[in-house]
Amino acid sequence: MSLRQQFQAIGTLVQLNGLIPIRAQPLYLLNLLASPLSFLFFIGIASGGRLLGYGVAGGMILTMLSVGTGLQSDLTHYRHDLKFQDVIVSSPVTAPAYLVGMALSEFVYSLPGMAVFLGIWAYEGWWSWTNAIVLVGALVLVWAFASTLGFTLATYFEDVRETFMFSPLISLGLSVLPPVYYPISSLPGWAQKIALFSPTTYAAQLVQGASGQVAPSFAGAVVDWVVLGGFTLALLLLATAKARWREP
Amino acid sequence: MDAIRAARLTRVYPQAPPGVRALDDLSLTVPSGRVFGLIGRNGAGKTTFIRIAATQLEPTAGQIEILGHDVMTQTDQVRARIACVPQESRPLYFLTVEEAIRLNLGLRGMSRQIARSRTQEVLGELSLTELATRSISRLSGGQRRRVMVAMVLATEAELIFLDEPTTGLDPIARREVWGAIRRATREGRTTLLTTHYLDEAETLSSRLALIERGRLVLEGTPQDLRGRVRSPYRVTVEGSFSLEELRSFGTARAIEPGFLVFASEANARALAQEALRRGARVAFGPVDLEDIFLEVVGRRIEDDREEAVAA
Ligand SMILES: Nc1ncnc2c1ncn2[C@@H]1O[C@H](COP(=O)(O)OP(=O)(O)OP(=O)(O)O)[C@@H](O)[C@H]1O
Ligand SMILES: [Mg+2]
Repeated sequence: MSLRQQFQAIGTLVQLNGLIPIRAQPLYLLNLLASPLSFLFFIGIASGGRLLGYGVAGGMILTMLSVGTGLQSDLTHYRHDLKFQDVIVSSPVTAPAYLVGMALSEFVYSLPGMAVFLGIWAYEGWWSWTNAIVLVGALVLVWAFASTLGFTLATYFEDVRETFMFSPLISLGLSVLPPVYYPISSLPGWAQKIALFSPTTYAAQLVQGASGQVAPSFAGAVVDWVVLGGFTLALLLLATAKARWREP
Repeated sequence: MDAIRAARLTRVYPQAPPGVRALDDLSLTVPSGRVFGLIGRNGAGKTTFIRIAATQLEPTAGQIEILGHDVMTQTDQVRARIACVPQESRPLYFLTVEEAIRLNLGLRGMSRQIARSRTQEVLGELSLTELATRSISRLSGGQRRRVMVAMVLATEAELIFLDEPTTGLDPIARREVWGAIRRATREGRTTLLTTHYLDEAETLSSRLALIERGRLVLEGTPQDLRGRVRSPYRVTVEGSFSLEELRSFGTARAIEPGFLVFASEANARALAQEALRRGARVAFGPVDLEDIFLEVVGRRIEDDREEAVAA
């Protein structure tokens, strides 16, 4: 497939799995809005507005993680119940084009949530070019690793119910235990060390920095980017080696 | 050039019981530009063969070339030229019929304009035009199956894999699918078809392979296959004969109503004449694929039982 055709395939997947189902059932859009917003609500209320910035930063990261878990259930369902992956495998569409197209189509569902968070973010006066670039960069990396993880796991699951079991565990491990919704400094020392194993910890520090909550040192920011980027790259390599595109 | 050339293909599934091979040293050549029928009992290995050939499943051993390209080392070249309707596949249910077909073409890189016109063509050919704007979720099982077939026949693929494409279709819809497959053949494309409707396999296929327990049992034109059974003619008679008497012509058994006799051509003619002389109802003709299937597969099951008993 030529590069142009790869892009055409990606665009078609966005239409197929994003725009068309939303047109048929607009309530889908509320799905990814619900849980990040309720977290934001509790954190905002409980802290009297003081931790609103953490709530917004955490909400955006959780939304990107939900894109990955949503992708995981959709892909498992399509592969297993509709044999859709087999149809795609026996076609010129490549696995990377399928991954990117489907991950973008899931991203479409997160747009209302992201709009709300970005609205608050801009309203609170956190806008600057640097902040915006850091925010977008960190969120793109979270989207990329969450989607890659979802895609890879989806090629293993034998039925959708397995994903229902796994997704909360993934959310717990990546968004509740790591300091996504609160500063890492509020964790006890030993828990901080454990949190360093989660890529979302680094993403959160970047996003919290870009939302005026923490003022990271230059060295700290470099570490955050390197670890987050490295983790994403490692997952992509893992997916290349381990995702079961052709069943072994 | 041959469309498929498989040499000593073996597949053992990871969780299979010891000694069970879904494909067992299977060698098979599928010439291009024709329909090739793959038949066999449930679990014989048809889907396994299709999935390996269509690059969905790795073989455990052996080689297979698709249109001159090795499936394992030249996968991209293979994938560019094939399309597949997997067994039990269904289109994405939130699309309309027209979208399912057209977007599948878009996915494969076809230009918008050509995709639109090919979609209209195939909709007409498979009597789906009236359902074009209907959501897949509101179609019957057979209508969905037809959409799957349409999606794949509309592509530009040179080699098409159809794993039980007509299961659950009514007799008219089946014939429409046959028509569409024949048209693909006229365009020079190759179809590998599996089906449990043996009349369908025989009508459509220029060559057939019968597999059993992952092994090739018979391969050839429908004519060749007839020549491979002991008794290539079937006679049914009603009344005026005893089973004993009929056994002198060939293998006979009682059916409702009357008897079914498999015999050589000469014996079959003699029996038919005798039946006419006695004024009995009689029908006589070459065996069909189902008879061959029952005889050959039945014999193998017997053999396997004897082997098991001996061991
Ligand atoms: N995923 C799997 N894991 C383990 N064994 C499998 C798997 N898929 C198929 N088998 C086994 O492999 C053998 C061949 O199966 P296959 O699906 O190829 O049969 P088939 O000829 O297509 O049958 P049918 O007509 O029922 O579709 C069977 O014994 C089956 O039980
Ligand atoms: Mg099968």
